[in-house]
Amino acid sequence: MILHPPILALVLASLIGCGLIAWASLFAWRLLARWDLASGAESQIALERRTYLVSTVMAFVMAMQIGALVLFVFNADRMAAMFVGAMCAVGTLNASVYGFPALYAKMAMFFAASLWLVADHVDGRGRDYPLTRFKYRLLLAIAPLALVEAGLSLAYFLDLKADTLTSCCGSLFTPNKDGIAAEMASFDAASALGLIAAALLLAGGTGLAAGSGRLPTGVLRVASLAHGAASLFVFGAALIAIVSALSLYVYEHPHHHCPFCILKREYGYVGFALYLPLFAGTALGAGGAMLRTLPLPASLNVALPSIAGGLARASVAAFALFAAVAAAIVWRSGLILIGG
Amino acid sequence: MGAWATRQRYLIDFAALSLWRHGARSLGLWLIYVLVVFVVASVILYGAAIRREANAVLDAAPDVVAQAMRMGRHEMSTGADIEKLRGLRGADRLEGRLWGYLYDTSAAANFTLQVPSGFDPRFRLERGEAIIGEGVARLRKVEAGKMLFLISPARRFLKLKVKQVLPLGSALVSSDLVLVGEADFRAFFDLPAGQYTDIAMRVRNPAEVGKIAEKSLLALPGHRMVTRADMRRTYEAIFSWREGVLVALLSGALLAFAILAFDKAAGLSAGERREIGILKAIGWDTGDVIGMKLWEGAVVSVGAFLAGTVAAYAHVFLFSAPLIEPVIKGWSTLFPRVTLTPTVDALQVATLGFFTVVPYLAAILVPIWRTASADPDRVMR
Amino acid sequence: MTAPAPFRASTPVFRIAGGLVAAAIAALVHVAIAPGEAARLEGERALVEALDLTDLALFTEARYGRHRSQADLHSAFQDGPMLAEHFPAGSMVPPARGFPPAGFADGEGE
Repeated sequence: MILHPPILALVLASLIGCGLIAWASLFAWRLLARWDLASGAESQIALERRTYLVSTVMAFVMAMQIGALVLFVFNADRMAAMFVGAMCAVGTLNASVYGFPALYAKMAMFFAASLWLVADHVDGRGRDYPLTRFKYRLLLAIAPLALVEAGLSLAYFLDLKADTLTSCCGSLFTPNKDGIAAEMASFDAASALGLIAAALLLAGGTGLAAGSGRLPTGVLRVASLAHGAASLFVFGAALIAIVSALSLYVYEHPHHHCPFCILKREYGYVGFALYLPLFAGTALGAGGAMLRTLPLPASLNVALPSIAGGLARASVAAFALFAAVAAAIVWRSGLILIGG
Repeated sequence: MGAWATRQRYLIDFAALSLWRHGARSLGLWLIYVLVVFVVASVILYGAAIRREANAVLDAAPDVVAQAMRMGRHEMSTGADIEKLRGLRGADRLEGRLWGYLYDTSAAANFTLQVPSGFDPRFRLERGEAIIGEGVARLRKVEAGKMLFLISPARRFLKLKVKQVLPLGSALVSSDLVLVGEADFRAFFDLPAGQYTDIAMRVRNPAEVGKIAEKSLLALPGHRMVTRADMRRTYEAIFSWREGVLVALLSGALLAFAILAFDKAAGLSAGERREIGILKAIGWDTGDVIGMKLWEGAVVSVGAFLAGTVAAYAHVFLFSAPLIEPVIKGWSTLFPRVTLTPTVDALQVATLGFFTVVPYLAAILVPIWRTASADPDRVMR
Repeated sequence: MTAPAPFRASTPVFRIAGGLVAAAIAALVHVAIAPGEAARLEGERALVEALDLTDLALFTEARYGRHRSQADLHSAFQDGPMLAEHFPAGSMVPPARGFPPAGFADGEGE
């Protein structure tokens, strides 16, 4: 293990998060078995009282997980200097077999945590614990993921050794190799950009429809679900576009496909400006759609649709920001990939 | 502003109000918090700044240094070794370096005696001339134009006229240097002509450094090749390691502080208890009280984070870290007066936030909930 | 509901918070301006380049700490797992493990 403050912080966050989630799952189990709003029994009152604690603690943990993803990637990029052959986060992540799995688990945890935060926020708006059952079922679903995530990060950090010979992004994201990274890199730049533009338009259209208050409820619901699906589509298309086209524009180099080097200081941290809105937009869009899949509780008659609409609008705004940054990258780049 | 945001605004207002009223009570805790952040932040900022400085400076170091080895020990290189490397294509500015240590009894310090490379005319030295680093000038109380006397372990004398004192700004790399001419160096250390401490090499194309180091190893099998990346990694590892050890040790202090915060948050005064009872009696629900208390915690911890970090910044960059220096300095009599370029790295700040804000908030969650979920009639009685 | 009332009794707390934020911003501005720093760093780099320097003059108490990245005649147990440490800096500086001949097969200890 490398004693490095960000690593210590991440391990600390993983351990705190994992412990708290395990504890909360036990509570969730009990709650799902015994929850009965109609009952006035002592045990029900105790459950109701305790649910505030668990909600607060989990909101804290989920917020921490979201921060941990950013810190994880940032740190991976910075530590590249310590490994032989590493130029950016790819090298650091590749320095151990657990590196990329840990990243994927952290990303999954990010989305799961955002969904949970949305459910928790909406639940807090109704006075009769309308989404409590759903929230704790979701928590039970997230708990194994959290354990896996913590295990993978811990394994990764314990496995890391300085001076390990690792591979650089150049050898991973090259079109003529096997694997999903190579597939993404071999995508033609023009069609990748077309794909992401189409996805953004779709997400924008459905999002605006889902966010407008004037449509009938049924239409809103469909629009919202469509927006959720479109958000996932944007996420995939954006990753392809970043690997196959946008990163090239950033580096002004026709063969450098790395989606991690754009996080570096040399490129003005432009990667963060791309990824943060992209992740936020996807999470918000998916969160809005998730709300619409639930049966509408009476106590949330007003609040839930307004929150779902707000999420859709926020998602569109985040995607618009992503699109603006991407367009600015293409516009300001000295590289000409298409036409020319 | 949405209803949610308005509500949060009122909660913040309330939290701030309550903080102000009970401020004196939590002031002591807050000051300890600031102190903890200050110590951790000083370590992290200092580490980051010195790492960055080392990185920037080593950027200009030789691409490859070839050092002869014999029986696992360093050995002098010869002129013949240099000739063997001269044939390598891509190797530029190839030269034997001459440097060694001198324990100076009068200053009780180790100086690095070095012959400046012949490539820069500004450092050309005649016999009896020397250029010295800031630390040497400070310890021996000499300045440009004065004389400097050195005695070798073999009792050989060297009388040098100080031509120049290297600028204070470069002390981090030059503090203990005594630059002398080659003839003086060889005579002083009784070193035969054609022997060099090691061989420094610059490579025209940075992408070829690895290749050239490999080829050099083939040409000089007894040598070890130290590339610039090796030098960098050495320092990166040293500083990260030290920083990590310090932070790991300090996390004990953080834990102790979190326990203190937990204890403090658990033991509410009767006044605060009553206040919450009244709030709940007039219609606040548990979620509202938790929200308010969380805002209170956030104001306290973000405030302490800012105050501690700013104080650490001033400590490290305005006052050159007087509290950290002794740790690195050890028993060195010759410690460079390091001026560090102020840097604030987003990663360091984020790490610091994780280290200081997260444990505090985690510690106060349960007490907050206890307070907030108590029955109003019970607490008001 | 009309616009929320201005913060009243809580204002001192916000004033303090504002002061802290202002101080933090001042620090960031100080970083951005960093009077004379660029020139100083440039001078330092030029010196390193001109003299072919390889190391920082930070650990000068013992000879083996001075040129950490180089082998030299003075290192105590330069290939050994841990030096029998005498100087305080030694507790801060781990043995250099970067070189193949040093042969730390485990690669641990960084």
